[in-house]
Amino acid sequence: MATSMRGLTQFIADIRGARVRELEEKRINKEMANIRKKFKDGNLDGYQKKKYVSKIVFTYILGYKVDVGHMEAVNLISSYKYSEKQIGYLAVTLLMHENSDFLRLVVNSIKKDLDENNEITNCLALHAIANVGGQEMAEALSEDVHRLLISPTSGSMVKKKAALTLLRLYRKHPDVIPAAEWALRIVAIMDDVDLGVVNCVTSLVMAMAQDNLDPFAVCCHKAVDRLNKLVIEREYSATYSYYKVPSPWLQVKLLRLLQYYPPSEDPAIRTVLHQVLQTIMNNSAEQSRNVQHNNAQNAVLFEAIGLAIHLDTNSPLVGTAAVLLARFISSKETNVRYLGLDTMAHLAARVDSLDSIKKHQGTIVLSLRDKDISVRRRALDLLYSMCDVDNAELIVGELLQYLKVADYGLREEMVLKIAILTEKYASSYKWYVDTILQLISAAGDHVGDEVWFRVVQITTNTEDLQEYAAKVVFEHLRTPSCHESLIKVGGYVLGEYGHLIANEPGYSPAEQFTILHSKSQFCTAPTRALLLSTYIKWVNVFPEIKPQLLAVFERYRHVLDSELQQRACEFFALASRPDDDELLQNICEEMPPFPPRESALLGRLNRKLGDTEDKRTWIHGGKEANLDREATRRGTLRRRTENALPDANISNGNVPSNGTGAEEADILSSLAGLDLSSSSMTPDIHAPLPPTPTEVKQPGPLLTHGENIDRWFDKLCYTNDGVLYEDVQIQMGIKSEYHNHLGRVAIYIGNKIDAPFTSFTATVHVNDPEALTVSFAKLPPSTIAPRTQIQQLLHVECKKMFTKPPIVTISFLAGSHQTIVIRLPIITTKFFENVKLGQSDFFERWKLIGGPPREAQVVIPIELSATGHIDIVKNKKIVSGHRFGLLDDIDPNPNNLVAAGVLHLSQAGKVGCLLRLEPNREAKLCRLTVRSTSEEVAAEVLKLLQLPLRRESNL
Amino acid sequence: MIHSVLIFNTSGVPRLTKFYTPLRSESQPLIRKIFSLISPRPASLCNFLDAPELQSFLGSKIGEEVRVVYRNYATLYFVFVVDGAESELGILDLIQVFVESLDRAFENVCELDLVFHFDDVHHILGELIQGGLVLETNVDEISEAVQTSQQTRKESFMTANPLALGVGAGGPRSSTLQTPLGWLTNKLTGVGAR
Repeated sequence: MATSMRGLTQFIADIRGARVRELEEKRINKEMANIRKKFKDGNLDGYQKKKYVSKIVFTYILGYKVDVGHMEAVNLISSYKYSEKQIGYLAVTLLMHENSDFLRLVVNSIKKDLDENNEITNCLALHAIANVGGQEMAEALSEDVHRLLISPTSGSMVKKKAALTLLRLYRKHPDVIPAAEWALRIVAIMDDVDLGVVNCVTSLVMAMAQDNLDPFAVCCHKAVDRLNKLVIEREYSATYSYYKVPSPWLQVKLLRLLQYYPPSEDPAIRTVLHQVLQTIMNNSAEQSRNVQHNNAQNAVLFEAIGLAIHLDTNSPLVGTAAVLLARFISSKETNVRYLGLDTMAHLAARVDSLDSIKKHQGTIVLSLRDKDISVRRRALDLLYSMCDVDNAELIVGELLQYLKVADYGLREEMVLKIAILTEKYASSYKWYVDTILQLISAAGDHVGDEVWFRVVQITTNTEDLQEYAAKVVFEHLRTPSCHESLIKVGGYVLGEYGHLIANEPGYSPAEQFTILHSKSQFCTAPTRALLLSTYIKWVNVFPEIKPQLLAVFERYRHVLDSELQQRACEFFALASRPDDDELLQNICEEMPPFPPRESALLGRLNRKLGDTEDKRTWIHGGKEANLDREATRRGTLRRRTENALPDANISNGNVPSNGTGAEEADILSSLAGLDLSSSSMTPDIHAPLPPTPTEVKQPGPLLTHGENIDRWFDKLCYTNDGVLYEDVQIQMGIKSEYHNHLGRVAIYIGNKIDAPFTSFTATVHVNDPEALTVSFAKLPPSTIAPRTQIQQLLHVECKKMFTKPPIVTISFLAGSHQTIVIRLPIITTKFFENVKLGQSDFFERWKLIGGPPREAQVVIPIELSATGHIDIVKNKKIVSGHRFGLLDDIDPNPNNLVAAGVLHLSQAGKVGCLLRLEPNREAKLCRLTVRSTSEEVAAEVLKLLQLPLRRESNL
Repeated sequence: MIHSVLIFNTSGVPRLTKFYTPLRSESQPLIRKIFSLISPRPASLCNFLDAPELQSFLGSKIGEEVRVVYRNYATLYFVFVVDGAESELGILDLIQVFVESLDRAFENVCELDLVFHFDDVHHILGELIQGGLVLETNVDEISEAVQTSQQTRKESFMTANPLALGVGAGGPRSSTLQTPLGWLTNKLTGVGAR
């Protein structure tokens, strides 16, 4: 550029040549005046505009305020010359921010550039939106950005930028973007061959998934699959290895993404993930000398440890991690110490037993005295998280000691944390009072009001403590310099409970008064007002010092502060009443205990910790704190998604409408909020919702419709092999075998077209995982080559009675994104084994079971075969296909069928079931009776069997 | 996300300032503040710094974590201000990638390159980070993207100014990027850090 704009180079050189700041300013003012004049005269060509705008941008970069050139920058954007357009965009992204009015003027030019069939121009436009996009741009352009992201013709460069641009718009204005609706299509791009694209899309998915956990759930499979490729199969292009570590940024992102989801139940995924984490940890054993290599490797390692902790704190992986961390926190390298402490705090926040961490308590306490404040902060966080009843006295003692020399920036947070720990883990009330008062006197200025409020609350509510508290406060007040917060506590506690110690030597009323009043002159008005209240209480209990107290009131009647004056006047009048008057006594009645309430301290701390844009996956503090938070987060999230997607719930036939449940939860949470608002500052983080049906019930996916789909399904219900689904692109078949409560189902998936299916995913959704488990034997591959077939094996186990068949979701990219959601023919009767019974046995049991409710019966219309007869063959096929044993020679009528079977359930045991089918040719009706020891089973079998019997089909 | 990317020299003069979150106040005091936080830290300390002091500048929500990750190269500090969601070491690696990319574009990058080619520096940064998020981390990809845009720019300039001097058609790109030290040397002798 310099060669092409001599004026600009000259300008820069001049400014660099300026020896003092005044000269520099002078030069800049001169230039700006010149530019303003030129702009006013108008009639500039593109080159001149570009030159002047460049100068303005340079001036801006130097830190000067710039108020011209916006309009010219806007004009440059619409130039057809790339060099001018580029400067225009640079100026727009630097000089403007998302709320600038000028941006309205560029929306159209940007839209035009997005539509252009030229990658470089697209990129400029995307870049601009990503930097300054506001509400207006989000509304006008998000569709276009999305189109560029998913279009098969977009190059990697464009896809990357489009992904991040969309992310920016989503962060700023989530309402404009239908994230849930676009979910599958966006997640599919995580299988792109270009790792740069994968990296950007993962960022996008991570942000959107946090608010839409369920629609984006597939991303877990993708993340695990990709990690497997990077870490274990080492399948990546060489340029993406950074100092021999395969794209550490992507690895970190994927590992982080997985922490937003609950640990997967799928054994295939679990095995792979375990291998990945194991490998990452093993890799770290070999530290090389290259700094960059170590950095990159550690970045991945720390995130992997975070994920291992998230998955299962009791796994051997976490054991390995704890050993590694112990080594890190005493490392010579400061960066490693810092991250070691940080990750250990994560561990402490999650594990059941803190023992492995406590072993290193000494090292951690020493880190409080590290020469680097960053390390000290992390050590403080860790100590806070690892504190429990056993080590509380020690840790709080250390913290108190450190507080005296701590950096000012740290103190306020430290005070809060010490106060919380002291209260939470106090083994005796004495220790609690001692520590808090010590805290107040050590860090007076940094003590928020909440801290001393809390002491007063606890003292008031604990009778055994009152006398001791009064004494200790008195002792603290005796020190020559004591902080105002301490005087406040002193005023309150002595006023209420001073009489408890008044008889002991050294604590007489007169002494109490002298010591407290001697402090009052250094106090602010509110504290003095509090002291006046103390005095009026004393008038009631200490008649011997009443004259002095009256004198004080008298004096305060003339102060300027209206609050003080009013109090003094009222108290004076009250105290001057005759001694036998009961009014004073009634007024100064001892305070009743406070209603038990949430500590305001935690609220304060948590407010301080508010959410970042990418939410934290854990918070400092013990295990319960994290559990609470998790529950609340899921609760609110679910409510939010439900509110956002009312249609999905209604149109979803197989899920009972849970609208009322959500309302109930809403009311409950608002009540909870009301309850806490009395302490006025606790955010709803601490209102864990009672588990409502809404939280347990997961809405199932929306089924793909089609008449054949139902027919295929019905047929597969009483056969073991057959077609599950077919269309022009894909064919799916099933082969299955069952034995007692176990089953193996092989799904064959065939690609019928001449292009590969990419980003192939298959997931199984089970409505009630307690009753039925269905899992893939291994992770499905992500591509299916043209005209080939793959086979995926499913393991099935039936534990209890279930009614809803599992649902399989298949999605893939073949030109466009396809999703097929269908039921798997895994139903209750598949777990039947037939039994042979003799006539007498059968009737005995039949009678034993008896009529309703253990009998289910229905009369259904049937169709006769072509010859006008009852289709016995078909009926037999259906009944035996449902794995019932047909019993001949029991019913004299040859048209009737009698059968028996036993349902095997691994947890609920075995359930017997008998069945009788009586067709009537004349009426074209058929009566089906099912008797079972379990009424649930009887009803279900009836439901399953009547459907195929009713239908006419060509067998 | 990344709140801002700053480069300043050891005397605290900013060479690159880029903010991805709108600032509440002017940038100058913020830059001075960051410089005052970093400059006294000796090299043996870690490269990360919690900086709650910066919250008020960034207009972030109260309680959001603000972290400074920085790295020192000769006379320059590269400083990233990030939130709690970024991996610290990841950012450190990113700084390295940024420096390597600059080095490729300028061949032995030095402070002067950043001054005279401020627009190129911004474009390179734009290929690395977009809207506060990591766009690309592969040095090859980054320099390729930078080159493509450079080429396009040059071509469009050429067609507009066929007689312009010093722009050889298709000549080595680096020749146009070299700092024009030749005719500037006279003016620059004896000038200090400014």
